[in-house]
This record gives sequence, structure tokens and C-alpha cells, in this order.
Amino acid sequence: MPEWVFHLMLAVGIAGTVAGFVLGFIPLISKYKLPIQICSLLILVLALYIEGGIANEQVWQARVKEVEAKLAKAEAKSQEENIKIVEKVVKKTEYIKTRGRDIITYIDKEVVKDKDVIKYIEQCPAIPQAILKAHNDAATMRNEVTK
Amino acid sequence: MKYLLILLVAMLSACSTVVPVTAKFPDIPERLLEKCPFKLKTVEGETVTIIDLTKTVTVNYETYHTCAVKNDAFIEWYNIQKHIFEEAGK
Repeated sequence: MPEWVFHLMLAVGIAGTVAGFVLGFIPLISKYKLPIQICSLLILVLALYIEGGIANEQVWQARVKEVEAKLAKAEAKSQEENIKIVEKVVKKTEYIKTRGRDIITYIDKEVVKDKDVIKYIEQCPAIPQAILKAHNDAATMRNEVTK
Repeated sequence: MKYLLILLVAMLSACSTVVPVTAKFPDIPERLLEKCPFKLKTVEGETVTIIDLTKTVTVNYETYHTCAVKNDAFIEWYNIQKHIFEEAGK
């Protein structure tokens, strides 16, 4: 139902109440004073109740819109931050992979030619198994955690 | 008549409720959900030189650092999103 209907009801209620309580001295009104008073008060109560509801609804709709706008802004900011973080991760991961490859290449090309390294390998051609075992245990300790 | 007046006053009282809008905590980017490799590289063989061992250690460090980057990013993502979420709820 359109809102103007309830505004009209309120106006009728107020007019009827005024007529019933204040304009009782007018002969036409004084004849129907009690029914006018009762009916107009009932209309006034109902109209006020509905008017209150409409006003309340408008306030809430405004608040909903305000919160929705805030959330939309937050969502946009969140997406923006997501992109920034992912870009940072991609960049750092790429750097680490490249650096890792560079270091392996450096070992293969330069470290193997180093005099001290060559001398060391001549003296100790193979790493003792105990050291390898210790290394491998450290590398696979996550298996123990998931058991 | 006075009961009608009391009813009239009672009906003027307002109701209170929460705003019917729910905020959804954002989804984390897929990239940050990638798990770290379960196994690190081990060194196998009878004659493993210091060179082989160094290369294996380097590969494992690379794995660690890649994982650390994702872990740090996850923490950063959570803190930022929590802040945004809390600010929006104020």
C-alpha cells in the first residue's frame, strides 16, 4: 500500500480526535461525539503505529545502505591487498628460484675448480655415511611428525 | 479511554535490532594455500662428495625460503584482512 494512505489515515485520525474532543459544542458533532472519539482514536493509534514503522524502516534502510557501502569499499580494498600480496609472493619466489639456480651453476662452474676444494676432495673423496645420515634425518624429520 | 492512551504511548516505543547485512571474511588467494613440499631432498650414494652435499643443501634452502615467503605472506594477508574486516564492522 502506498505511504500516502497512512499519512491520510493519520490526518483523519488527528482531525477526528480534535473534532471529537475539542469541537463537541458543534451540534452535529455533539450528536455523534462518542463514536467519533472512539473511531478517530482507533484510527490515530493505528496510523501512528504504522507511521512509526515506516519511519523505523526508513532509518534501517539507510543504515543497511551505509553498511553495504562500507562492505563494498572493504571488499575492494581486500581484493587490492590480495593482488599486492600475491604479486609480492610471485616476485620473491621467482627471485629465490633464480638465486638457487645461480648458486647451483656457481658450484658446478666455479666451486669445483677452486684449488682448496679440489685439494679437499682429493683428501676426502666421499663424505662419511654418518654425516649423510644426519643430513637425511634432518631433511626427512617431517615424516616423523606426521606419523 | 485512558487504556487507549496508554496503548498509544506504548506503540510509540521503538524496536531495536541488528542491521541485516552480513560481512563475509574474504577468501585467501590460491597461491597462499599451496602446501610446502613434504619431502626435502636427501643425499644418497656411497661416494657423495662435498660438492654433491652442498648442492643438495642449496636445493633444500631454496625450498625452505620459498615456503617461508608463502608463510610470511599468509600472516601478512591475515593481519591485513582482519584489519579491513574490523574497520568495516565499526
